[in-house]
Amino acid sequence: MNMLSSVASRLYWMARYLERAEGTARLCGAYSHLILDIPQGSVLEWDTLIKVIDGQQAFSNRYQNNTERNIMKFMIADMDNIGSVRSSISAARENVRTTRDVLPQQLWELINEFYLYVNEAAEKSVGRRHRFEFLEQVVARSQQINGLLESAVTRDHAYRFLMMGRLMERADMTSRTVDAATAAIVDHNSEEVPDVILVWTSILNAVPANSAYRREVGPLVDGNEVVDFLFNNQFFPRSMLFCMLGIEQVTKYLKHREAVAKRLGIVVKMVAMFDAEKNSLADLHLFIDRFQEKLIGLDHAIVDTWFAPQRK
Amino acid sequence: MNDIWKSYSSAPFFDELITENGRPRRVASRLIKHLQGLSKEELASQRAAAELVIKEMGISFTVYSESGNIDRAWPFDIIPRIIRASDWKKVSAGLRQRGKALNCFINDIYNQQKCLADGVIPAEIVLDSGSYKPQCEGVTPRFGAWAHICGSDLVRDHSGKFLVLEDNLRVPSGVSYMLENREITKRVLPDLFENYSIFPVDDYPSRLYSTLASISPREKKRPCIVVLTPGIYNSAYFEHAFLAQGMGAELVEGSDLFVGEDEYVYMRTVDGPQKVDVVYRRIDDGFLDPETFRKDSALGVPGIIRSWKAGKVAIANAPGSGVADDKAVYAYVPAMIRYYLKKEPLLNSVKTYLCMYAKDRDYVLDHIDQLVVKPVNESGGYGIMVGPHSSKEKHREFAALIENSPRNYIAQPTLSLSTAPTLCDGTVAPRHLDLRPFILQGKESWVTPGGLTRVALRKGSLVVNSSQGGGSKDTWIVEGKK
Repeated sequence: MNMLSSVASRLYWMARYLERAEGTARLCGAYSHLILDIPQGSVLEWDTLIKVIDGQQAFSNRYQNNTERNIMKFMIADMDNIGSVRSSISAARENVRTTRDVLPQQLWELINEFYLYVNEAAEKSVGRRHRFEFLEQVVARSQQINGLLESAVTRDHAYRFLMMGRLMERADMTSRTVDAATAAIVDHNSEEVPDVILVWTSILNAVPANSAYRREVGPLVDGNEVVDFLFNNQFFPRSMLFCMLGIEQVTKYLKHREAVAKRLGIVVKMVAMFDAEKNSLADLHLFIDRFQEKLIGLDHAIVDTWFAPQRK
Repeated sequence: MNDIWKSYSSAPFFDELITENGRPRRVASRLIKHLQGLSKEELASQRAAAELVIKEMGISFTVYSESGNIDRAWPFDIIPRIIRASDWKKVSAGLRQRGKALNCFINDIYNQQKCLADGVIPAEIVLDSGSYKPQCEGVTPRFGAWAHICGSDLVRDHSGKFLVLEDNLRVPSGVSYMLENREITKRVLPDLFENYSIFPVDDYPSRLYSTLASISPREKKRPCIVVLTPGIYNSAYFEHAFLAQGMGAELVEGSDLFVGEDEYVYMRTVDGPQKVDVVYRRIDDGFLDPETFRKDSALGVPGIIRSWKAGKVAIANAPGSGVADDKAVYAYVPAMIRYYLKKEPLLNSVKTYLCMYAKDRDYVLDHIDQLVVKPVNESGGYGIMVGPHSSKEKHREFAALIENSPRNYIAQPTLSLSTAPTLCDGTVAPRHLDLRPFILQGKESWVTPGGLTRVALRKGSLVVNSSQGGGSKDTWIVEGKK
């Protein structure tokens, strides 16, 4: 089956945006829970969330104070933040609108209902009272759509580009979620160090990897083990390594994949070589930055190979 | 009977569902009975349910305005319009006949021009029309079919007789709404379907596919068909996507296609260039190929006309087909039917005055307050003046337009369009409507059972276009006794 370059690009971005909305919702939910779990006089900063998604510049252009409300508004409902849940769903919908002909018919209805829901509810869900319900809805609706894609899309190019987008974004979100832990533990605002186990547990919840981790590693939550699990576990579908191997798998069926394969090989090696025990939290943070740079390079290679209009 | 229906009267117009005595027509009696059993609140809640379905299905059309483009939900009336199958059979045969004659005419006009030589149609009407494209001369597409998809607008007069109001042979739209209207009715009023045997409409995409596949220049089991759209901001984008999906075809924009050195049309895919067999274009002639038509078009595909003329790609509708939907040419369709098919027209047309002729022009200028004046080359209901509904000032304005460019205007008597019960402000009232069936022509020809019914939602209004406040109804062709 044929696949237009322009359509492949939209599918890739549709999947990325959808995954981004889900990841952002999970992160906001888990971080909100973490803050609730830590007793009065919290040592945690809300603006960790902004740092994790690299949104400092966009945030300070729009808001004066790092209040919980402003930050949640920015993360959930702000159309000026291209990474907000609302922007992501809007963009995902726009991409489905222009690729309806290659997607299951029901998908358009689902994404359209999702979009209508988010537009209606996002603004109202900034406060704690409705926030959790909203974030759960976002996760549930994203999963519903992914479920439809899994069960109704032929494993052809359309599926491959959807997977590529989803796995790229998932790897990115997992790395950022881990980064939230380094930021929370390192950048606290008082002498008191937050409860490290609580922080790592909330990160496992955000991914979500809590039950998978307990089954695979054990009931005790240890920072280094969590990092190894989320980076390098070959079988856990949200680990960075799993995502990269998944991309490698789907690109096998595509022509002209040499440049992408080369970059993928480098990223896989880089992730596999990382040993949490030998690195400080500061090193971990730097490593995550490097990983995200590599992902950007990989994204560019994908765009150049398959999306840029070919010359005659 | 329910209060809402008691005062219903459509006189002096023909009503599709209710007789002049105020009783339901036989074919509509079960529908009306069902509706009369519903309270005002129940009707309102059915309507709200339909609106929700429309919103959730994302059925929309785009309205252009100065403050940007607005994506509006599709305006839909829940009360279906019913036509008896025995009546429809005649209409359908008339439409097929008409479509065939129009295609004979287009093929003749770009080749021998026999109809001009034989004086059937005055040459100046055809050759001076902006829709005549000399670039298309000498081409004969497969089966002599130029207008593969034709949407003809029908109305019913005061006696219920069907008349053809115009033929749309460029890029007629609306068929997806016909299909969605049925889908909405099934979801919202499933009870209604129990006692009726209604002709299904949902095989349109496969009929369209077969038609397009039949004109492929290469014999293949699955020719490569693309739907060429101007893009997301076009008012009919929803439909372009809908049809591409229904046919399993690629939805492409101009930038997705290019013409190779070998003059074949290719699309840019992730595997590299891929040869295209049939282009179902939803872009006007003028924008189709900057090499041949408008140089500034960014929507088209440079060289696609060369490829078409070399027989390397099929284009539907063929470039230049618009020559037959000029409203001045319309006046000669009955003559075409007699000339090419040697038959009497099965469907009537509306008396048409051509302002380019002094005699007609004088009549039009004298009776401008009674006539409908239309520009020959517009669609979407733009630039029309309905004499009896317009001010003296408007009459003068149009009189001046006609005198300045008589070739560009025609006039027709103001018709008493038929009405049908329509839900308006919580009650049921008669509203004027028309019908756009679609005629497909490739190797074979086919007419949709029914079509898109458009309804003027404002009281007394005759303008049914969705861009100007019109709505639509599901259209049922049903088997029934006389």
